[in-house]
Amino acid sequence: MVHQYADRHTLEGLVPADVSAGADHLAVAARQAIVVVLAAPGQEAAVAHLLASDEDLSARFSAPGEWLVISGLQTPELLHQALAALLGDMAHCIDQSHGRVLLRLTGLNARAILAKGAGLDLHPSAFSVGQSANVLCGHISVNLARVGDDAFEIVVMRSFADTLLHDLRDMGRAFDLTTAFLA
Amino acid sequence: MTAYRLSAGGLVDRSAPLTFTFDGQSMQGFEGDTLASGLLANDRMLVGRSFKYHRPRGIVSAGVSEPNALVTLGLGARSDPNTKATVAELYAGLDARSQNRWPSLKYDVGAVNGLLSPFLSAGFYYKTFMWPAAFWEKVYEPIIRKAAGLGRAVLERDPETYEKCWAHCDLLVIGSGPTGLMAALSAGRAGLRVVLADEGFRHGGSLLSETTPIDGAPAAAFAAAAITELEALPNVTLMTRTTVFGWYDDNVFGALERVQKHVATPSAKLPVERLWRIAARRALLATGAEERPLVFGGNDRPGVMMAGALSTYANRYGVAAGTSVAIFTNGSAGYRTAADLSAHGISVAAIIDSRAESPDVAPSGTRVIRGGSIVDTKGKLRLSGLVVERAGFEEIIDCDAIGMSGGFSPVIHLACQRGAKPLWSEALKAFVAPDVGQGFGVAGSAAGLYSLPACLRDGADKAQAFANDLGFSTSPADLPVVGAEPDPSFTALWYVAGAKSKAFVDFQNDVHVSDLGLALREGFGHVEHAKRYTTNGMATDQGKLSGINATGLLAAMQGISPADVGTTTFRPFYTPVPFGALAGTSRDEHAAPKRVSPLHGWAARNGAVFIDSGLWYRPSWFARAGEKTWRESVDREVLTVRANVGLCDVSTLGKIEVFGPDAAEFLNRVYCNPFLKLPVGKARYGLMLREDGMVYDDGTTSRLGPEHFVVTTTTALAGGVLSHMEYCAQVLWPDLNLRFCSVSDQWAQMAIAGPKARLVVQALVEDDVSNAAFPFLAAKAVTLKGGLKGRLFRISFSGELAYELAVPAGYGEAVADALMEAGRAHGICAYGLEALNVLRIEKGHVTHAELDGRVTPDDVGFGRMLSSQKADFIGKRLSTRFGLTAADRMQMVGLKPIEKDKDIRAGAHLLREGAKPSTLNDQGYVSSACHSPVLGQFIALGFLKSGRERYGEKVVIWDRLRGEETLAEVCSPVFVDPANARLNL
Repeated sequence: MVHQYADRHTLEGLVPADVSAGADHLAVAARQAIVVVLAAPGQEAAVAHLLASDEDLSARFSAPGEWLVISGLQTPELLHQALAALLGDMAHCIDQSHGRVLLRLTGLNARAILAKGAGLDLHPSAFSVGQSANVLCGHISVNLARVGDDAFEIVVMRSFADTLLHDLRDMGRAFDLTTAFLA
Repeated sequence: MTAYRLSAGGLVDRSAPLTFTFDGQSMQGFEGDTLASGLLANDRMLVGRSFKYHRPRGIVSAGVSEPNALVTLGLGARSDPNTKATVAELYAGLDARSQNRWPSLKYDVGAVNGLLSPFLSAGFYYKTFMWPAAFWEKVYEPIIRKAAGLGRAVLERDPETYEKCWAHCDLLVIGSGPTGLMAALSAGRAGLRVVLADEGFRHGGSLLSETTPIDGAPAAAFAAAAITELEALPNVTLMTRTTVFGWYDDNVFGALERVQKHVATPSAKLPVERLWRIAARRALLATGAEERPLVFGGNDRPGVMMAGALSTYANRYGVAAGTSVAIFTNGSAGYRTAADLSAHGISVAAIIDSRAESPDVAPSGTRVIRGGSIVDTKGKLRLSGLVVERAGFEEIIDCDAIGMSGGFSPVIHLACQRGAKPLWSEALKAFVAPDVGQGFGVAGSAAGLYSLPACLRDGADKAQAFANDLGFSTSPADLPVVGAEPDPSFTALWYVAGAKSKAFVDFQNDVHVSDLGLALREGFGHVEHAKRYTTNGMATDQGKLSGINATGLLAAMQGISPADVGTTTFRPFYTPVPFGALAGTSRDEHAAPKRVSPLHGWAARNGAVFIDSGLWYRPSWFARAGEKTWRESVDREVLTVRANVGLCDVSTLGKIEVFGPDAAEFLNRVYCNPFLKLPVGKARYGLMLREDGMVYDDGTTSRLGPEHFVVTTTTALAGGVLSHMEYCAQVLWPDLNLRFCSVSDQWAQMAIAGPKARLVVQALVEDDVSNAAFPFLAAKAVTLKGGLKGRLFRISFSGELAYELAVPAGYGEAVADALMEAGRAHGICAYGLEALNVLRIEKGHVTHAELDGRVTPDDVGFGRMLSSQKADFIGKRLSTRFGLTAADRMQMVGLKPIEKDKDIRAGAHLLREGAKPSTLNDQGYVSSACHSPVLGQFIALGFLKSGRERYGEKVVIWDRLRGEETLAEVCSPVFVDPANARLNL
């Protein structure tokens, strides 16, 4: 009987692995660890403080007392363990590494591309590096974070990733947006 | 007697000639022309036929208010009907065709309607074609539709692409004429994020046809310099070919950008049109003012145009609309046009001024007829002269164009789109915008300031006020120097007495003065009634020229002020917006997002035929070689599950994890049945009610730890139940200590059902899944052989021994493949939604076909689940109200046709034997039906009045849609294994 199971990315076959990135590029994380942290009632500020204090963690605000904590390096299990150890009884941690897909959009036209789907004001004065928000991108709800002046990360539910990829490519066609898996 | 291109002047590029065609005739224009200026330059005065009377019509205006010059552009699927020639940008190869004429524009058979016009007055159709009623739809309307109309919509698929886009700014300036440009400059210099949008293909608005110099240079040069400065400011976005068409909540404006309407072959990388939503902290309406037509006899003959349009064609496009032009005016604007034409060497036949006295000075040598009025025009397909009347003396004056100027109306549509009504200004003799709050201001001519210096100053002032209001500091505006201008005043002139032929108010819909009079006489004098009775203002131009004159005439006819008549309601859109642009990229399969199950690839490999199920595509059945119909596949799948084992993708069910000390209490209140004492490691079926006592959703909830539950919902209500729970937690019981989140996408979930299910599951799972170790309703985390962590639930929708195995989504396909491999020796098959449905109908299990929002728990046989022990739960109070406990409520029953080979379809109604079909005699309905391969016949679930008392009774299944009546026996809804012995194998 099989004992090792292959982990299949939902966008496998839809995104090339080895395309050189153009000026505007959409990279699909091949794997990532994403854990939802839900602060216990009354512990919101304390949890926020602890999440911010750990430089290895990238915590994206997604709702009051709720964060998406992302790591490109750790495995889902290790990230979940690390967060559980860090937060103890103050929060509930739920592994969503398989339930979400992480996309990274970079380039001078990243804002212009996103403006075709998201109603959020992405001007640096309104949405600065480190900020994140749950927004609709077209029909699809995503968590959008600014990770650089011209770099954004999008976290989307796995089942919607196929459609979102299509939409983002469509939004980027005027700028020759390239897409590839992130090694 | 011709319109022609002037030898010099204008902003067209005379070094860039363009060839285009109109009704198949090749013509020459220049870059910078509109189709209208190109047509005039080629002496093409007749461009269309009117809507009702098929009267010959020519170009009237030089902008979006154009009522007549509507043409179809492009060929085949790319045809664009009802395009205004006055707006369409000329490009090489443009193919334009006239509309509403047959066989040709010059000889139009429909013009016979003009002879019938005494009968075709307002309301004619409604009064005449009333009887017999059935004839309206079948006979009259198709004929009328054929005779009356504009361009034809294309039925082919639209090959163009569209998109939507958001923009955000501190200040949106609408219109880039003198006011808008100065406003954008002031705000841009102060550092505001500015969007300047203009509907034209070149920024500058009226400055492009203006002859008054600014700072000693041509006005167009001032506009060009301003644009150059604005382009250099990184905080300013300039948008041409962009019409701001609507003002919406939160100061969001809708705008349509015509990205590639002006190119022969659109680039595939860009949309043809783009719909913008512009969120503006402040907005300034700088849309200028519209010149009013005058309502005189014969005012619709080709060659009668707006005076301002004559100036624009001469000054901006270098085109003369005629060789001898008469002006009919009630103010100074007519004299300005006369001066413009004279300066270009165009002969002015006469200025007919409705005022007996005026200070305005005509160009030297021009004849002025003060106190005169035009009562008729001459000519057939184009103007050849006019009849002027003064104090009873009539005179014919030869001319080939008339410029009419009836004063000005500020263009205030956008400001009045959210309920505020325009206000009448007696001083301006016009409707002006009311105060609509600090977010949206009006400036320049749109605010009733008609002189150039006043517009420039007002734009700068209002932009500075907005900047200061938003906390930006500003320095005093550097206003350009403008020469003296004439007094822009005029006297109101709604009705020119003595008309000898029809005096049109609405050119596009052929509404003339006597139509309005008829409306008033017949009790439709209210401006909104008159509009609908006469169709004045209901054409594609939405009354941009006719609306104010209709109000003025209705006021004058009743001897009251226009203030007491008011205007019709301004609504989006300011100009037509194509449906394609409103749809954007959301068309065909992209009209809604597609959700992909983590097992999609597995299902496809196993031959799944997919079906839309909400946003999901789910396997409907898995066809195998040799199976000719879907029923063959479904019957095989059902029998395989009943005899051996089957695998079904149930990943699409909603999954919500609930944590916290009060999690159990929360679920106990959300569900109607108890959850407090659910043991760890156990699953329980739960029924969620709405406050009104009706069933909302069902599913199993498992306790994975003392303070940790996982709730499953139906696929359809995964989002709805999550929202409902958020509402309960945040609003109803904020004191409860719990948190939850959806994990629907994290897990791939597979149902393994059938008497041999355990053999298959045990092959993969490390933990003991025997009946003793893992009995019915067991639920816990398990480890798969090899170490993969999953969750296993012993729950069954089919009534068979069944497990649901959940693994992290990415592993789903591999695990499903392994299960199929493990089950091969046991005859496993994949089964889809159809088989799932048959299996559950055979067991009398409900879905949303039964739980349709109208049933109580008792209706579906779950009355005992309502916990009387619980202090409260959602739906408890209203569950006891009269009607929900009535004895004759429809209860779920099973139905079997008496004749075994008869089929039953869902939706049919139930009647007593011999009863006549009627609402009164209705006994119930069929909710689900299928062919049961186990029973070898059709079976159904349905709702029947007092149904549980009526097992054994015969009822008629009345299927009106198919015209069938089937006699059936009422029975228990559980057709297979009523003792549930198979569950506990």
